[in-house]
Amino acid sequence: MSAQMDDALQTLIIESRELLQNMEEALLLLEQTPDDAEAVNAIFRAAHTIKGSAGLFSLDHVVAFTHVAESVLDRVRDHRLGMSPALGSLLLEVCDHLGQLIDGVAAGQAPDDALSGRSDAIAARLQTYLETPSAVQAEPDFSDVDWPDGNDIAPPSAAPVHGNDSVTSGMWHISLRSGPNLLRDGMDPLSILRYLGTFGQIVNLELILGDIPPLSVIDPESCYIGYELSFASETDQASIDGAFDFIREDSVVRLIPPYGPIADYRALFADMPEDSLLLGRMLVRCGSLTEEELAQALETQGRMGPDSGGGSPAPLLGEVLVAQQLVDKPLVDAALERQQQVKATAAGEATLIRVDAAKLDQLINLVGELIIAGAGAQLVARRLKVPDLVESTSVLARLVEDVRDSALTLRMVQIGATFNRFRRVVRDVAAELGKDIHLDIQGGETELDKTVVEKIGDPLTHIVRNALDHGIEPADVRLARGKPRQGRLSLNAHHESGSIVIEVSDDGGGLRKERILQKAVERGLVSEGQVLSDKEIFGLIFEPGFSTATQVSNLSGRGVGMDVVKRNILALRGTVDLDSVEGQGTTVRLRLPLTLAIIDGFLIGAGNASYVVPLEQVLECIELPDEDKPEQGASYLNLRGEVLPFVRLRDLFDIPGEAPRRENVVVVQYAGERAGLVVDQLFGEFQTVIKPLGKVFSHIRCIGGSTILGSGEVALILDVPGLVRQVTERQPVSRHLPSTLSPV
Amino acid sequence: MATLARKDAPAVAAEPCQYLTFTLGGEMYAVETLSVKEIIEYGQVTTVPMMPPSIRGVINLRGAVVPVIDLKARFGGQPTEVTRRTCIVIIEMGGSDECQVLGILVDTVSEVLEIPPGEVEAPPAFGARIRADFIRGMGKVGGGFVILLNVEAVLSTDELSVLDELSRQGTPVDAGALPRLGSSVPG
Repeated sequence: MSAQMDDALQTLIIESRELLQNMEEALLLLEQTPDDAEAVNAIFRAAHTIKGSAGLFSLDHVVAFTHVAESVLDRVRDHRLGMSPALGSLLLEVCDHLGQLIDGVAAGQAPDDALSGRSDAIAARLQTYLETPSAVQAEPDFSDVDWPDGNDIAPPSAAPVHGNDSVTSGMWHISLRSGPNLLRDGMDPLSILRYLGTFGQIVNLELILGDIPPLSVIDPESCYIGYELSFASETDQASIDGAFDFIREDSVVRLIPPYGPIADYRALFADMPEDSLLLGRMLVRCGSLTEEELAQALETQGRMGPDSGGGSPAPLLGEVLVAQQLVDKPLVDAALERQQQVKATAAGEATLIRVDAAKLDQLINLVGELIIAGAGAQLVARRLKVPDLVESTSVLARLVEDVRDSALTLRMVQIGATFNRFRRVVRDVAAELGKDIHLDIQGGETELDKTVVEKIGDPLTHIVRNALDHGIEPADVRLARGKPRQGRLSLNAHHESGSIVIEVSDDGGGLRKERILQKAVERGLVSEGQVLSDKEIFGLIFEPGFSTATQVSNLSGRGVGMDVVKRNILALRGTVDLDSVEGQGTTVRLRLPLTLAIIDGFLIGAGNASYVVPLEQVLECIELPDEDKPEQGASYLNLRGEVLPFVRLRDLFDIPGEAPRRENVVVVQYAGERAGLVVDQLFGEFQTVIKPLGKVFSHIRCIGGSTILGSGEVALILDVPGLVRQVTERQPVSRHLPSTLSPV
Repeated sequence: MATLARKDAPAVAAEPCQYLTFTLGGEMYAVETLSVKEIIEYGQVTTVPMMPPSIRGVINLRGAVVPVIDLKARFGGQPTEVTRRTCIVIIEMGGSDECQVLGILVDTVSEVLEIPPGEVEAPPAFGARIRADFIRGMGKVGGGFVILLNVEAVLSTDELSVLDELSRQGTPVDAGALPRLGSSVPG
């Protein structure tokens, strides 16, 4: 039971965080379109659900705080209060603060004084939006209601006119028949009652114990009890309904508003399994019905009996009510529709399950081992030359490949959630800098591996902050330059040949090449008079300790940042590059692998060693023509009329021994640049499980990682961009070799 | 026997006094048994290109890729010649936050010795063939001395990876020969 409670609490924490995320997004949306009723509803729902779930766990500090926010939101929802930028900011604070409260719950700590103080401060500011206090003194016509203890809970301020069809009780009536699994699901009927007590008063409660079986067959983990209770509260139906959100699935919950129609009670009698008279007595004892009202309800109920039992299928409750003109047809339709919707969402939720990320990682690891073992089996099969065995291992290999692909897709998540976080960053930073900046998000549905997503958050934040701080000019400068007042920052993601490309672009001032160059010369990164291409100049800002910002703000400009960004991205086997047009803006482009675990590779051999090139970077393989065999180093060859620079792996890696008579060229492509790798042998495609090389090799270039071959031997994975860079750096004369080639 | 003794006396963990001895170029060295994970035969080391000679390569240790350090080259000598008795001692370091597994190449593995703390002398200020910070102490065994290695210093990841950095900076413009920086260890 307590373990289940823990699980349930964990779910509460996860869900609350998600809801807060939704709330924040909706709040930011409201800043753009203040009239969006759906957004207001979403915010309200989020706050409401958090309050409801927190109540179930007796997290009183969360409930108390959320309650105030909810009241304000309720007013916004009812158009009694308009959204203003000030309120928006306050609600964002509420959102952040709730996040902190939830973090506290997750850490299992009671809120400290600072946190409670902040709760009170924010709640006090929220109170100013609630112009009239909610407590209204009891009115004289409630003298017939017997308040058991204290008069602190006010009855509804004005009793609606009620005719013969309505009861005289001014209290809510709640009927609950808990499902047998209530306790097993980690719920506690008591905590619901406790939660109800936070916004109203339970006046009377009658327990229904008729379902409790004899002691010999009782299941201690099942819940058998139900109750009828009358409840005095000023809140609306939704809030009370909310208390039962978590048990609605299994249990039967009926809610009849104050001065509810007798027909509702009649329907209650009809639906509940208990004897109507017995139940009626309980309701009278609760104070929800008077004797006369009970008689009236039972009479109609009795009249209904023979009608429905007359051979034809029993009419639906709704039809009965409509036929008796007790309820309007549209009302029933609306209720039915709502039921359908609830069912539809329930079905939608059922197709998604939450899985612990660690379990997925373990699965991926196992699939990795499976691939290595499979490759080993295939190797043995080929050596033994038993046709059947070769056949079956190749079928197995294909299946393993499918398993790998589907296992990897399990870990794929959309980048949209990461992008959306930046709405808040942009809003806050723009406000801090006094700039007006619009964030434009595209390609949020692009998927990539969860592990990659987790690691790009920080670098991306750095780039975005840089763009906001240094890229986009203040409004007056923008206007003077003939640009629109509002700056634009756009985040864009798309897939490109096995990688994901993330672009951060702004329409700001762009980079000033001369200044970068000047600074680089000052710092001794470049010698004076050296001629660099645009790309190389822009590349300088990723050098350690390089910053051209004349002013150091508290956001960026300390010269730490872009080099860290570059290092982080390289660690993910990605690349960063930058395009900029002075006066028009800058685009930073991150190119990242889709996954960090397993790739399709191409196995090549040089000397005794085997190497793997990521398959998506291999364009084609050709034999090295005799006439292009130079004595040493890198050179170029004629590939169908185009110049293809190439490098001999033997030379680059200093592999001892003579090259074989026949050498092959693997044509690789990366980010639009092509190059040839001269190797001894081509072994073909190979599923590559990437094994990290460890910290000792943290500075290594040209090698991206390692993998284990079927033979148990370790093969190194070539890092093609690093390799190309290594070669171009060794040849200072022809620095732009690859970039002058036209892309395929 | 060695492991048994360790289990029996947990107090030993605080003041380790069991050492695995091995020879390297005729000299006797020792490492604490606590950091030794296992000893395997030399075989199938994949060379990692553009690395200093002190980093011999990587091996597949039951699915994990483990770097192998050539101790003789690390101490400034020539790369170890592989013989029938060459072994790789797998060392586990760190442990607290991040555990690092490395292999060291040795000529022969000798035995596990118990050297009480009283029998350990401070390293000599000079005169040893290897850098002073590599030596944790000199163990007195049967009238002779055994060099007790400071594994953390010898296998310092930072230093090893900087070696690799240095080797790259020293790369001559003409492709081909790799610099042999193993003998010019910084510090």
